[in-house]
Amino acid sequence: MLEYLTFGLVLQLLVNGILFGTMYGIAAIGLSLIYGTMRIIFLAHGAIIVFFAYICYWLFTLLHIDPYLSLILVIPASLLLGSGFYAGLFKEAAALEDKNISLLIAVGLMYLVEQLMLVVWKANPRSISTIYTAIVFRPLGINIPFTRLIALVMAVLSAFGVLFFLKKTLIGTAVRAASEDMESATLMGINPHWVNVVAFAIGIGLGGIAGVGLATVYSFDPGYGFIFAIKALIALAFGGMGNVFGALLGGILLGLLESLSSFFIGAGWADAITYGVFLLVLTFRPQGLFGGST
Amino acid sequence: MKDKSSIILAVLVLMAFVAIPFLIDVDTSYIGFFLFLSFCYIIISQGWNLVAGYTGQISLCQNAFFGLGAYTTALIWLHDITKTGYYFDPVVMAISGLVPVILAILIGLPLLSRLRGDYFALGTLGVQFIIQVVFLKGGDFTRGADGLHLPSTVFTSMKPYYWAGLFLALFATAVIYFITRSRIGLALRAIMEDEISAAAHGIHVLKYKIFAFAVGAFLAGISGSLFAYYLFHINPDSVLNLNWLFYPILICVLGGNGTIVGPIIGSFFITALFSLGIVYMAQTHPIVSGVLIILVMKFMPTGLIGLKDKILSRG
Repeated sequence: MLEYLTFGLVLQLLVNGILFGTMYGIAAIGLSLIYGTMRIIFLAHGAIIVFFAYICYWLFTLLHIDPYLSLILVIPASLLLGSGFYAGLFKEAAALEDKNISLLIAVGLMYLVEQLMLVVWKANPRSISTIYTAIVFRPLGINIPFTRLIALVMAVLSAFGVLFFLKKTLIGTAVRAASEDMESATLMGINPHWVNVVAFAIGIGLGGIAGVGLATVYSFDPGYGFIFAIKALIALAFGGMGNVFGALLGGILLGLLESLSSFFIGAGWADAITYGVFLLVLTFRPQGLFGGST
Repeated sequence: MKDKSSIILAVLVLMAFVAIPFLIDVDTSYIGFFLFLSFCYIIISQGWNLVAGYTGQISLCQNAFFGLGAYTTALIWLHDITKTGYYFDPVVMAISGLVPVILAILIGLPLLSRLRGDYFALGTLGVQFIIQVVFLKGGDFTRGADGLHLPSTVFTSMKPYYWAGLFLALFATAVIYFITRSRIGLALRAIMEDEISAAAHGIHVLKYKIFAFAVGAFLAGISGSLFAYYLFHINPDSVLNLNWLFYPILICVLGGNGTIVGPIIGSFFITALFSLGIVYMAQTHPIVSGVLIILVMKFMPTGLIGLKDKILSRG
């Protein structure tokens, strides 16, 4: 295998990893916001992302709406769904000391969404092919598919968008304050429910963007969500819980790790390597690879 | 007085279960399989109950222990390692319980000493995936995705399964009962309430956590072994399935986490619900279970056991 190894091939592997990883990155930012304010591990995130991928698929096949154009519909819908989830499911549980309850509600939601998708869309994998799916850029002999490049741009833009929102707006500042210390934030007059709704809405909103990205780039099936959520959690752990930019970098790191280990060691073992690194990071740097010591 | 009546009740229920094979033909009736499956769930759920309900550590790798127990039984049987070679060997079942204990101690030492709360849950979830990959890629030893085929011709009757299941479910419940009523149980509860204060009172937190984790792994392994004798075809898809992780959690939480009776009620309830679901609405029943988890967690976070207290306090 090593005799085929050229500079171009390594570069291609790295680029693939980065393009792959940004998808995990946006999912991880959403998880990070939800975890930051409510300390909920939202395991259903992957299922929600796949759900939006299916919505995008339906909009494309039934109504012939361009996948990227469908973002105009998907983003508001996902923001609404996110606030709905909080108000309907997690409002009481988020205030409780016992976090198992919200974890289990998330598991129940994951089951529900996954099985609903199985009933509605069946188990066979779907994918969207538009006129630009086949477009591939070839700078320096590396293949960069157009859709993946757009997914990367979407991820980076939404990461900056969220960062801008958190740093520059009043409600964003409140979200950050609540992530650091909910009790003191409440004492300063911040309404915890309001902050939680915003965090949940944006988290699911990012899930919607990730769903559109997923729909245009890969083929997906209802069972893919859980794996995706786990990958996003790993990216989150790499970046450090509650660190927005760290989550994106963590996603990219995870993508690189997967792309390199599946080439050099074998696709089946790549997962074991990823989880192994994940365990090592959790054990020795629980604050994440990019964060300072907190 | 209260203790006496609950002991009498427990004995009566047990006698009813002992009587069932004499009254109903467990071989032809669905009830035989239903009770056997419930017993398997009781064993694995009591293990999770001790780890999460009494010690407060959310372990998300019980399916790895379950699968490891099933694979241990299958491998010992196929290679005839213990030289006993007969069906339902208690020695093999004990070994199938002990192998997951070794894994529990090996992963418990680094994970339980360094990780708390959510991080521990995530870490164990990672472990569970690694075990899945290891069994999937185990080469000739585990035969990958196809798995191991056991000689299914030895199956003659459901009766031995019923008795073994009943005995082991009783054993698991007794183990948890006596652990939680002892000094160890007190220490575990103290760790769950407040780890730092427990440590300040001279409890060796790590030692007790690993103990609880290992007992949970032991029970999961035994449950896996029992199920392997019934299944005869052991592959990652059947015994390392995530259902073996989520169902025990659902059972404990639904029945009442951190109580002795909770997992028992939960097991019968969930198995009955899923059996009905499979018979009457084959494809949609996981939707019902998803909705059910959400509803139970939202409206009665203390489980079915808590429901009794609620009704009593109202009356």
